[in-house]
Amino acid sequence: MPDPALIAHIVRRMTFAARPFPADEFGEIEPAALIEQLLGGSPLSPDEPELGTDDDYSVLIRWWLDIMARPDAGIHERMVWFWHGHLTSSLDRTEPALMLRQHRLLREHALGNFRELLQAMTIDAAMLHWLDGNYSQSWGPNENFSREVMELFALGRGNYTEADVRAGAYLFSGWYVDGENANTVTFDPDNGPQEPREFLGRSVTSATEAIDAICDHEACASYVAGRVYASFVGIEPDDDVRASLATEFRDSGLDIATLVASVVRHPSFLEHRMNRPRTAVEFFLAARAVLETRLDHWILDPMGQVPFRPPNVAGWPGAARWLSSGAVFTKVQLAYDNSWDTVTIDSDEPVDAVLAKAGLYEVSPETRSALVDAISGIESRRDRSTLLHALAVASPEFSIA
Amino acid sequence: MTESFTRRNFLRWASAGAGAAAAGATVWRLGDDRGAASPATNPMTNASGGTRVSRSGGTTPPPAAGEAAMQGVAATTSIEARRLVVVEFGGGNDGLSTLVPYGLGAYRDLRPSTAIDGAEVLALDDEYGFHQNLSRTSARGLAAVQGVGSASPDGSHFEMMRRWWAGDPEGTGAYDTGILGRLADLIGDPAAAAVAVSIGSGSSPALISRTASTLALPNVDAVGYLTGASSDDAIRYAFQQGLGRLTSSEIDGVLGRLREIGRRTTTFAAEIAAMSGDTDEQAVEYPGSTLGHGLRLAADLVEADNGVRIVHLPMGSDFDTHENHRDRHAGLLDEFDAAVDAFLGDLDRRGIADRVLLMTTSEFGRRAGDRGANGLDHGTASIALLAGPVVAGRHGEHPSLTSLDGDDNLVATLGLDAYYASVAEGWFGVPASELFDRDLEIVSGLFT
Repeated sequence: MPDPALIAHIVRRMTFAARPFPADEFGEIEPAALIEQLLGGSPLSPDEPELGTDDDYSVLIRWWLDIMARPDAGIHERMVWFWHGHLTSSLDRTEPALMLRQHRLLREHALGNFRELLQAMTIDAAMLHWLDGNYSQSWGPNENFSREVMELFALGRGNYTEADVRAGAYLFSGWYVDGENANTVTFDPDNGPQEPREFLGRSVTSATEAIDAICDHEACASYVAGRVYASFVGIEPDDDVRASLATEFRDSGLDIATLVASVVRHPSFLEHRMNRPRTAVEFFLAARAVLETRLDHWILDPMGQVPFRPPNVAGWPGAARWLSSGAVFTKVQLAYDNSWDTVTIDSDEPVDAVLAKAGLYEVSPETRSALVDAISGIESRRDRSTLLHALAVASPEFSIA
Repeated sequence: MTESFTRRNFLRWASAGAGAAAAGATVWRLGDDRGAASPATNPMTNASGGTRVSRSGGTTPPPAAGEAAMQGVAATTSIEARRLVVVEFGGGNDGLSTLVPYGLGAYRDLRPSTAIDGAEVLALDDEYGFHQNLSRTSARGLAAVQGVGSASPDGSHFEMMRRWWAGDPEGTGAYDTGILGRLADLIGDPAAAAVAVSIGSGSSPALISRTASTLALPNVDAVGYLTGASSDDAIRYAFQQGLGRLTSSEIDGVLGRLREIGRRTTTFAAEIAAMSGDTDEQAVEYPGSTLGHGLRLAADLVEADNGVRIVHLPMGSDFDTHENHRDRHAGLLDEFDAAVDAFLGDLDRRGIADRVLLMTTSEFGRRAGDRGANGLDHGTASIALLAGPVVAGRHGEHPSLTSLDGDDNLVATLGLDAYYASVAEGWFGVPASELFDRDLEIVSGLFT
């Protein structure tokens, strides 16, 4: 029998663990084989949400959460979510229909080619709104996208100069979202670049060539590989790992599926367990599965992670964000309020049963004994089950990815 | 977008929480192994390149003309009683649209699209005046500290936020604590459940401390889930007893941190539950903005005598006005003005206005020139605002509008560390050398 803690780890990191356990549902499969099975999973093809009402904002958010909550949501959904937090845009600066249009791009390219993804995102309507490329004109171009595409999306700080930022702003000018024409993204040559500019060490005349220059830059494969690695492994790669991931990624022509496979097949993926907290959305989806209820999506708001609404261009921050006392308040509230309609655990070992259902195979003795003692004075099976669900979800272990 | 803006009411805590910790450090004690309250020092850093600072004596105090020049209330003489509320303007607040140099020709030359007319400012003198949307706070006494920034500024929001949070203007990496966390270490009671509180669900890296407890609080309603259940309510009672047990051991790693933060949150929840809250019928009404809700809670926290000395409050609105600067910025100042006016009125009614100082921070200002396009790219030095028991008007030296740096940015006249130090020394009596790895020349005469 494979170690259930290892199986649970792989499922938590490569999917949203949006299914009740126990891990023995996965049978006798060995960890390496499970990784390959999940890598080979088919992308979902969800129906489109019905927008056009006053409630588009919520409809869109719920729609995506419901997709991520599907038990068959796998590595492709994980990467759609990853790219949303990396190549950000937000409902704060655009409308739901355009966020949906961008979302389709992420679905299309999530495991595709990074260069094609970045080219598409550069002239995406929601992105043009979000980073002020919309109506940026070459005689006074806006620097916002130019800076962030290098700093945050593709290269990292230190790999470009302020002169590159200014040149990039010029090269990315001329695009606009045509509100008179179904928000079609259009290029106006009169407002676009009129002559070549020196950009990242080469002479460039268009937005497409500028993105090519970025993707061809030495730092690009290394930077993106580091971001993907950190999302799966929970730490930054060391220099050797980063270099080898970058080489494979570059040699593949920036094929994202190749990169993801290299990351999860790397031994460090199985070594680094229990080393990062769940983000709010990861917590929400896992809690939703264990508590068997479609949780109110507004709870994600005080937890600090609403889909389609990242806090800023850098997306949601790293691990430490999810360790705050504010998050403790909200998770405890969620756990208590939503444990009342769960199926009653009908077992002589209800603590073990609930912990297994929650995928918790590495709980501390303190947590186990707290659960055992908590139900000792409770008579009814129903009440015991409710209490155990609430405490399992509120436990520190459940907050770990 | 109107749609998303009205959603702010539902989202009132999210912006604050999420924005607060954009760079992702946690509010976490670093452990007591390095000794109490001594900031990490590195003699090799800051050896050169410090910001030149002018004392407030170098500028003329504002004349008392009109409402804009009204002084703040007299400060309490008790340092122990003093509290600090820090409002963070995320995105980069434009100094030149906040304290408007309306009388300077160079200003109109730089800003063909965004210059504000003299008729639309609250004049402090012939050259400078506050934006007219700051009228309510100006009438209560508003101070502007001029030219705050870095001697070697960076154009990245995130780099500059990290520097502000650390109190490290040149980004030397000299500190592994946050500026407010260090201040909490110096002025706080180590036994207090929380010395500094960030309002919102997120923790701010500014609050990383060494010995003092610093926490985040989303709202008061959350407290009842962690504490206070009657033993008659068997399940809720057992749940809270169980929660207490889930936080009670010394373990390394993420699990240990989750347990520790759970323990401290539970302790703090008990403190908050004991806080009376303001149920007075005369209670002041606050605006429904993130800032309004946050300041309402801040008022309870600064009034309660439970060890909280510092409240940190991300405003939750976007100051990154690359586009449509005029209207957006005017709206942001109006939002600030309305909420802070309610807050100061509330403090006054509670009889604690002499104890509470409000200061603002923002990672940078906007570009000096506006490209003729009603939008302003990232800049450098900006204006910081102080309200409460302050000497109203301008302090420090305004950056030159004619001698710009190589990137056409304003040159800072005061390091952001010296700004913090001026508040720490003037308000809490903490010398700069205890908060930073060097002495700093501060702006004096800020407080009544």
